[in-house]
Amino acid sequence: MTEAGIIGADPAVRIAVGGDTRTTGEELLRSVRETSASVMVAEVGATGLRGLEPLVLATLDGETAFLPRCSVERAQSAVEALDDGSLPTGGAMAVVEHEPGIGRLPTPSDGPLAAGERTVLSACGWAMPTSVEDYRAVGAFVAPDVEAPDEATARLDEAGLRGRGRCDAATDGAIADRWATAREAEGDPAVVVNANEADPRATMDRLLLESAPLAVLDAALAAGYALDATNVLVYCNEADSLAHERASEAVAVLEDELDEPIPIEVLAGPDEYKAGETTMAIEALEGNHRLEARLRPPYPSEEGLHGRPTLVHTPRTLVQVDEVLSKGDGDHDAAADRRTRLFTVHGDDVPSTTVELSADDDLSAAREAVPFDDHLKAACVGGVFGGLTRSLDVPARANALSAAGLGTNGVIELFGDEQCMVAFAGDRAAFGETENCGRCVPCREGTKQLTEMLRDVYHGEYASEKLRELMRVMTNTSICSFGEDAPRPVRTAMNEFEPEFRAHADGRCPAGTCK
Amino acid sequence: MSSNSDTSDPIWEDTRGTDDGRSWIDETIAPGTATDPDVESGDSATVTIDGRSVTLDAGSVLLDGLERTETEGYVPALCSYDHNERIGPRSECRTCMVETEEYGVVPSCSFPAEEGMTVHTDADEASEARDVNLDLLLSNHNLRCTTCGKNGRCELQHVSIENGVEEPRYGVFDDREEYEPMDDSSPFIQIDRNKCILCNRCVEACNDVQVAGVLRMEGSGGDTRIGFQNTEETMMESTCVSCGHCVTVCPTGALVEQGLVDSSTIPLPGFTHKNSIGKIVGGEFTEKPRNATPMIEEEYTENDPVVEVVETRSNERLAGEGDD
Repeated sequence: MTEAGIIGADPAVRIAVGGDTRTTGEELLRSVRETSASVMVAEVGATGLRGLEPLVLATLDGETAFLPRCSVERAQSAVEALDDGSLPTGGAMAVVEHEPGIGRLPTPSDGPLAAGERTVLSACGWAMPTSVEDYRAVGAFVAPDVEAPDEATARLDEAGLRGRGRCDAATDGAIADRWATAREAEGDPAVVVNANEADPRATMDRLLLESAPLAVLDAALAAGYALDATNVLVYCNEADSLAHERASEAVAVLEDELDEPIPIEVLAGPDEYKAGETTMAIEALEGNHRLEARLRPPYPSEEGLHGRPTLVHTPRTLVQVDEVLSKGDGDHDAAADRRTRLFTVHGDDVPSTTVELSADDDLSAAREAVPFDDHLKAACVGGVFGGLTRSLDVPARANALSAAGLGTNGVIELFGDEQCMVAFAGDRAAFGETENCGRCVPCREGTKQLTEMLRDVYHGEYASEKLRELMRVMTNTSICSFGEDAPRPVRTAMNEFEPEFRAHADGRCPAGTCK
Repeated sequence: MSSNSDTSDPIWEDTRGTDDGRSWIDETIAPGTATDPDVESGDSATVTIDGRSVTLDAGSVLLDGLERTETEGYVPALCSYDHNERIGPRSECRTCMVETEEYGVVPSCSFPAEEGMTVHTDADEASEARDVNLDLLLSNHNLRCTTCGKNGRCELQHVSIENGVEEPRYGVFDDREEYEPMDDSSPFIQIDRNKCILCNRCVEACNDVQVAGVLRMEGSGGDTRIGFQNTEETMMESTCVSCGHCVTVCPTGALVEQGLVDSSTIPLPGFTHKNSIGKIVGGEFTEKPRNATPMIEEEYTENDPVVEVVETRSNERLAGEGDD
């Protein structure tokens, strides 16, 4: 089962693809292997930049050529060149010199791959996702060393690590607190890896499960050992078949590697936005046929899966846990989470692009990763229920994003002048109306009234105060994050673009796109 | 509903199925609702409510304290029910919101009473939330009180009057085109879903108290409704045994005893509960088309889990262990 790795191989050809370009990648792999028996060829995880896929990386003597959107013929000629002892640089988007046998993706100094940094993404596009050799080449498994549980929790506490993503039960909160709560609570703890992010705008959890499943599961097992947990569950989206496969393969690999593995199950839940909400994820995992949010407190860390203390963490959070436990936290400020965050960026007609920003970066650092030629009218930050901002000069930290009224679910959508903000607000409100679970009044009836009142704007009535009152109550009184977050697009659109709402009430669309 | 004594069992073992993968109604009661955690306090606690100190036993929520004192603001707590009756708290209507100094605005019906908490019922954000949520309920309720069998004994009517509702800010549900047909099939219980506020009391009475397994919550978003676990469309085709518990707990005119459907209708010719809706289903039944006791009937439920187990070595091994 243990696959030989590709890290250290030279010459080498890597084919970096994700779930969407997988078939093309398989074809490339077969063709290239037929062409040369002497060059090491392997499928590696995706880089996060889907627009470059299939991306072929040809390495020779500590130099790597990046061949984006590579055809079979191009890949075959590249491997032939390597066979002849030369680096195929024709048509390369970048050629990077690096230390031979480097364990992390060598990044070009310009172009889309240069945007942000690559810390938790370092293996993506470079290592074979389920190869223990590749995983070991850059570090050791962290889970087996988690024997003194309070020490692991203490290190996370020192790092001030916060949960990342809306599907994390500790989103924007200190994860060390949840671990401590779960340890103290009665019952056998369980750990849920919540990778069911169905917002197509946010693809980073899928990317990590596809490209770095060993790091994700290593950290989940570390959490399991720290809590003395009896079960680890990986909850995927039913549409992400490559993620299921990689997770399953990684489970098998870990079972062989670890002396006392905690049973890990891989399950696939519905491709629905609400199904990722942490308590609805637990409902799904318990086998319910219908999903609705659970009341809290008590929170899942006290009473979750089958009433047991349960940690629910996203792959995004877990790779940070892996970093903290394996490499320590360096000179980071203990008071606040200074670690990186992943953002999926959407510009002009390109597939989703995931980049990693440091806590010192502004969101504008992500803009370079995607083509966007228009004048930036606004960006929606945080996914379907994100907030609008006119400026990307907002630091990529949870508190800074929240302070700016934006969402923290790691999505940046860039909008040009032709985007009507009233239409945007209406679309997002309508999504809330159709996709909510139906349990609580402020969300079920609130999203409906919100959508109706935005329709009324087109009929001449813009009831600003009434809208704000409704949105306040939705955010203050909904059971779960769905209803709390659903008003954010409308609220921020009204804050930033109020004149557009008034213009629509007067029968005019300033962007010229409505009616 | 779900507690797993043998925790080394794989998680999905809880869901039993037949050979074709579907569950039998006599094996599983499937109300379609979430399994909430225990929201009651673990210890007795003294809390301060609008300046008055109240000591509550273990197993209390804040609402228990509100009920034992005079509050500054009116707290309807419409969907709540006596939690000693094994019904609720559902906490769906959110008309019980109060402000606490410790946790901000919280739902009093489902928030544990913790020692030393300080509650203000008349804080602006809390009273705004109660008013707005009550109006949101009314926005989806057909306010045809004068033809309603619960007129004068309706909890929604009562709290609306108490809360001083004159003109609900989002209007009421009065588009006849949009009305769901009234279910008049049963000789004992009439269902008018246009009056339902989805408090879930009937579902809990049916499943958690009577263990009859007839009613369920189904759908999502605006399509959420009370339905039947055997997936039929009318009460008469369901497995209902007409125990009447659902009617007893219903806070509105959604579930009414057949004998009382026009008990409080204004006495005008042609003015009836039925024609307030205009659309009726189930009038054609002369007898119950099936046995009421589900154990005899070969009825399916649609309670297939939404998750699927992905084939892995680990999953196979765990499933094997579960069979021992």
